[in-house]
Amino acid sequence: MITLKNRVLALLKLFHAIKDENLHWRTANQDQQAQLKHRRVLAEKTLEAELKKKSVQLTHDITLLRTKNETELAMFKTRCKQDIKDYKQYLAALDQLKRSIQASYTHLPEAVAFTIHHHAKHLLNQMWEAEDFENKMHHEIQLINFMTTVHEDARLHLESASTEKLPERTLGLIQRK
Amino acid sequence: MGTIPIRAIKKPVAILIVRIALLLLLAAFAVLTSADLLLWLAIPGLPGLMTQLGLATLLSAFALLLITGLLLIGKLIVTACLDYFSTRQRLQRRLLFSQAKQEQFKQLFYFKKVQINYFNEVKRKRLLMANNRQQLQALSHAIDKDLLMIKPQLSKTTYLKLQQENTRYRNQQDIEALLTLQQKIATLV
Repeated sequence: MITLKNRVLALLKLFHAIKDENLHWRTANQDQQAQLKHRRVLAEKTLEAELKKKSVQLTHDITLLRTKNETELAMFKTRCKQDIKDYKQYLAALDQLKRSIQASYTHLPEAVAFTIHHHAKHLLNQMWEAEDFENKMHHEIQLINFMTTVHEDARLHLESASTEKLPERTLGLIQRK
Repeated sequence: MGTIPIRAIKKPVAILIVRIALLLLLAAFAVLTSADLLLWLAIPGLPGLMTQLGLATLLSAFALLLITGLLLIGKLIVTACLDYFSTRQRLQRRLLFSQAKQEQFKQLFYFKKVQINYFNEVKRKRLLMANNRQQLQALSHAIDKDLLMIKPQLSKTTYLKLQQENTRYRNQQDIEALLTLQQKIATLV
């Protein structure tokens, strides 16, 4: 019975010793704990301030982006409209080209005039659909060359410098393709 | 600094409640065992009372545990809610929202550009088609004229057939066929 009592007492002592240890540790580290807490609160506050700043900056950026996008879109729209206008003018120029060659060569078959016009249109479309600038320029030069040749043929025929019945140089250009 | 004492109190309270519940549980077992002992000793009346007491203690222990659990869950929920509505979380959410909005604007810009390009291309194609149709009409008209000129030299069926071909190719917008037809008529003369 006594040994049991002793054991219980020893156990109680151990328990109290653990509690004491715990209490000592707490008192020893209280300052440090408080400091840690304080630092954590400070860090949180800094983070909040930073987030706020970032948010404001982002809102500003969004406004800028919006205005920039709007202006760019408006410019793009105008450019597209201008493109369509240019295309229309090109088509009109090609029609004019056909009329002028028909006026010079009065007995020119409609099929030949049509082929010349069709070829010019094909060149124009190639130029329009070219992806990069270099290609575009290449096709543009081709188109301009072709148009100049047609006009030259018409002019020479009108001035009776040539006795050919057909615009041979233009047809040669078409056949070379 | 103010949060330290609250936590220091709160944690032992939970431990205390659990401890009480466990003590109640042990007490219930002790009472039930004693009731068994009394029954064995054949003392009348008392064992029933003891059993009831033991059961009540056992039940209260479980009830206490349950209530503690519920309270802890409630506390967790409240903490989560407070954290959700805290300034930091709110700011973070707002930042994310702004970022998403920015991304959305960028995408919208790209798609608007694509849309404008598409409509532009459609307009251009329409212009081209109109021009093609006009030119084909002119060619077909010329073929008609040629046909009329050589009409006396052709049989009626051939003339009608050629005329029909002309109309059909014009309607189909078949350039190659119209050109070959023109050549065919030219060779017929």
